[in-house]
Amino acid sequence: MRLNILIGGKAGQGINKISEIVSDVLVNYGYFIFNYRDYPSLIRGGHNFNVLSVSDKKVGSHESKLDGIIAMDKKTIRLHKAELKKQGFVVDFKKFEKDNLGRNLNITLAGCLIKILGIDKNVLIDRIKKEFDNPEAISAAERGLNSEEEKFGLRKLASKINILSGSQAISLGAINSQMNIFIAYPMTPATGVLHELAGRQKKYKFKVFQPENEITVVNAGLGASFAGSKTMIGTSGGGFDLMTEGLSLQGQTEVPLVVYLASRPGPGTGVPTYTSQGDLDIALRGGHGEFPRIVVAPGDPIEAIEKTNEAFYLSEKFGSLSVILSDKHLAESEFSSDKKPNKIIPVKIDRKIPGQSIVKANSYEHDEFGNTTEDAGLTKKGANRRIKKYEEIKKDVRKFEMIKIHGKKDSENLIIGWGSTKGAILDAIEGLDFKFLQVLYMKPISDEIKKEIKKSKKVILVENNVTGQLGRLIREKSGIKIENRILKYDSRPFRSDELKKEILKIK
Amino acid sequence: MIDKLSTKNIITWCPGCPNFMILASVKKVFAKLIDSGLNQKDIAMVTGIGCHAKIFDYLNVSGFYGLHGRVIPTCLGIKLGNPNLKVVGFAGDGDTYAEGMAHFIHAGRYNADMTLVVHDNQSFSLTTGQPTPTTQLGYKSKASPLGNFSCPINPIKLALASGVSFIARTNARDISHTSQILRAAIKHKGFSFVEIIQDCLIFNKDMNAKDKLMYEVKENRDKKTAEKLADEWNYNDKKGKIPIGILYRVEKPTLNENMRKNDEEK
Ligand SMILES: Cc1ncc(C[n+]2csc(CCOP(=O)(O)OP(=O)(O)O)c2C)c(N)n1
Ligand code: SF4
Repeated sequence: MRLNILIGGKAGQGINKISEIVSDVLVNYGYFIFNYRDYPSLIRGGHNFNVLSVSDKKVGSHESKLDGIIAMDKKTIRLHKAELKKQGFVVDFKKFEKDNLGRNLNITLAGCLIKILGIDKNVLIDRIKKEFDNPEAISAAERGLNSEEEKFGLRKLASKINILSGSQAISLGAINSQMNIFIAYPMTPATGVLHELAGRQKKYKFKVFQPENEITVVNAGLGASFAGSKTMIGTSGGGFDLMTEGLSLQGQTEVPLVVYLASRPGPGTGVPTYTSQGDLDIALRGGHGEFPRIVVAPGDPIEAIEKTNEAFYLSEKFGSLSVILSDKHLAESEFSSDKKPNKIIPVKIDRKIPGQSIVKANSYEHDEFGNTTEDAGLTKKGANRRIKKYEEIKKDVRKFEMIKIHGKKDSENLIIGWGSTKGAILDAIEGLDFKFLQVLYMKPISDEIKKEIKKSKKVILVENNVTGQLGRLIREKSGIKIENRILKYDSRPFRSDELKKEILKIK
Repeated sequence: MIDKLSTKNIITWCPGCPNFMILASVKKVFAKLIDSGLNQKDIAMVTGIGCHAKIFDYLNVSGFYGLHGRVIPTCLGIKLGNPNLKVVGFAGDGDTYAEGMAHFIHAGRYNADMTLVVHDNQSFSLTTGQPTPTTQLGYKSKASPLGNFSCPINPIKLALASGVSFIARTNARDISHTSQILRAAIKHKGFSFVEIIQDCLIFNKDMNAKDKLMYEVKENRDKKTAEKLADEWNYNDKKGKIPIGILYRVEKPTLNENMRKNDEEK
């Protein structure tokens, strides 16, 4: 069983409230949800919509054909009618125009949807009471519940499910690592983590600071870490570009630093509120000179919690740069899961810090005390130390999941992908003779990838970018060029039904 | 004590460079602070990139030899990372007013408890003498053979406009006065800015030897007076008078205090 329901309206009308309430009710009822958020870069007006995908099994994507539309304005119906299935339903805001519901229209519409789904009305009423302590909200919900006919008859299931967005998960991973400071300048789609952490700073006793620009973010980040604080900084592509001199400084000073990079379509300001996997290259290489780094790319919130923790652990252990690569689709979509993340890896500061010893970090090549040198021998020694460190990192990361194999494990048909495409790929290959190799460590990258490719007859690369950046990386590391590529670069994520068609087209 | 503050590194400033005197002043201040109870390990210096920044290698205290132009953000981060440290940044005029200007303005707004020392030699010296934002109009260099096309800014006025809570100016050659002012700056609660007028013996020599124009003022706490003092020298010529000393000072809550306060209120 799988349903896709589009909830649309103007920015500021409260469509997110509808999907939030309905999602909460659904997971309480034992159903999995995936909520895709589509909105242009404006604050009031325009056209925003969510597609809420509902299933009795795990679901990690939305589809192109809709089972229903909940419309808070006329435009929603006009724009999305064509996507509606034959039997699809529409709940039109107009029905309630005379009710003077005001701000409570979204609660009424949530009521309509709960009734259509056939869920016990009390689950909704309890949920509403939890958030709104007023009789108008309850009667708004009742108004919705009473105005529709039951259509799907969902029965309560036993699964215990939680909802998380990618941004929430990255934040949890940082909190699990006992981060002390988060520094960021606002930029979609990285801002979610700034908001999330700012809201939790008091409870978990860490600092959140928003300075004048990303150049300050990275340099202050290194200063804070040097002073003995576990530090994460966050940004999107343009801000990351501004930071790159600082990333290179990290390489020379070996002061631990965790960078959260949430990408969006570029170049330039690009398409700010939409999605792309176009920034793998800069995550791997941003910054001048040659120095080690770690780049992890979680594919869902549970992995985001785990990989963020690993990023902190490795960065402290090796005095290295860890980049956590995400994108709008992972950061801002809501995912549901019945899994718990792995046990937390403790992150310890085991290095000299000012206040306890005299310690120097130096952007120039330096001697053992941290003082400047231009000596050829010491320069070579410094470079060798950094290279050796990378060899140690390579060995150490093997204890973590660098890749995952999903689907039919013995299949000779292989799909390769990374990051936020995970959900759509898993949903697309459901029931097909395919396995899916998900790359989680982009740097260091696993040797297993080459072996898996060699074992397979058909190999397909799936990426949400123009040039197939993971494909290029694999070719660089293995000499293998993956000929079959499904690349989507219209700034929208894959929808699983469309992806499935694309996969089946490849002979 | 001064010896404990030295390193074995060979000093590579040009012979006679006033940076030697700035180093002496800094050692004197650190030694005094340590004598009166400060733990040497609690000092953290930050330097930019330029001749001035070489001071990093000659001082035996913790420090971060950062990027060109980024002394202020690095100091800010260290102060956020460990509020107990005494954070002192050494920057050039190119460093502060060209590459890193935005940070200078915002430093006044944040008022983090740290000190910025600008070695102002009105020249990008380590890159062989190009004009900086405090270089006089018409200055000829390899990069400006037709003469510098722009007038200098006045960093003291800029600091006043940006709400900097401690603004001072000293003469690099006057070790006793400079160290006295530096000490007050480090002790000041909030962002303190000390501009040290420093001759470069190699580049932009026309602007050297302004000592005769300099005169000491008593610590000033009046904004209007500060504005007048700031206007006495325009950086563009060797006319007028150059007041040195604490040109303005005011008590304001610091960044860490405001963070803590918010914490309590929430
Ligand atoms: C991003 C960047 N741009 C340019 C340089 C080259 N550079 C090194 S020192 C310097 C000028 C330093 O001038 P100033 O800050 O006034 O210090 P001074 O040498 O005069 O003490 C420049 C431009 C650099 N290191 N980094
Ligand atoms: S070039 Fe000028 S500032 Fe640099 S060391 Fe020589 S005299 Fe000093």
